[in-house]
Amino acid sequence: MMAWIRFFLTAALVIAGLVICCIGVFGVYRFRYAANRMHAAAINDTMGLALCLLGFAVSAPDAFTAVKLLLVVVFMWISAPVSSHLLCRLEVETNEERAEYMTVHEHTLAEERALAAAAQTQIEAQKGDEQA
Amino acid sequence: MSVEMAYRALTVAAMIVLVALSIACLARCIRGPRISDRVLAVNMVGTLTIIMVSGFVVALGEGYLADIALVYAMISFLAVVVLSKVYTGIYRERKHEEARLAGRQEEASKP
Repeated sequence: MMAWIRFFLTAALVIAGLVICCIGVFGVYRFRYAANRMHAAAINDTMGLALCLLGFAVSAPDAFTAVKLLLVVVFMWISAPVSSHLLCRLEVETNEERAEYMTVHEHTLAEERALAAAAQTQIEAQKGDEQA
Repeated sequence: MSVEMAYRALTVAAMIVLVALSIACLARCIRGPRISDRVLAVNMVGTLTIIMVSGFVVALGEGYLADIALVYAMISFLAVVVLSKVYTGIYRERKHEEARLAGRQEEASKP
């Protein structure tokens, strides 16, 4: 009887997680721009993964394995915002037509770009010194 | 119907759904008009693979597969960090080079 209760708990959680994953992948196809798609992908990374892994942790072979599966969820909840942030930086940095769907603090961005360009020039000057 | 058979049906069904979703993400990765779409799709495939590996923990009853899921989470995070940094660097370098070439052309056409 206990085994059946565990099975139904697992099945409910995993099916809910898979439904949320389907919504995330559907969203990636529905949205038009990369920064909007990031929002749909984040659903997958947080709620879909958490529900599925919680479901599998309920019927894991031992308690230590269940704790490890929950650790994966904690790690993904910490790392998903960081990777989304980096991806958004990449999008802002490389998309020259970004003004049509997002607003950026152009002043801060210009300052950052100037700093990066100065660093690049410095590196090239150092290389030239080494060659000479 | 025994509990083992029910677990087997559940895990097989979950794997089929996850593989279909991974293929959809792969199509997004191929189609994606911008480089950020492609990196995003790679990130999603990584997440779905973590779910698949943790599904195998239950399907096979092997505890050590949870370690593999944890390592996979770390590697997929690292992949996104490295790819976005690399592509930002490539873009900046190309811009820098273009600006330098434009400056050189202006100098040549002046006198």
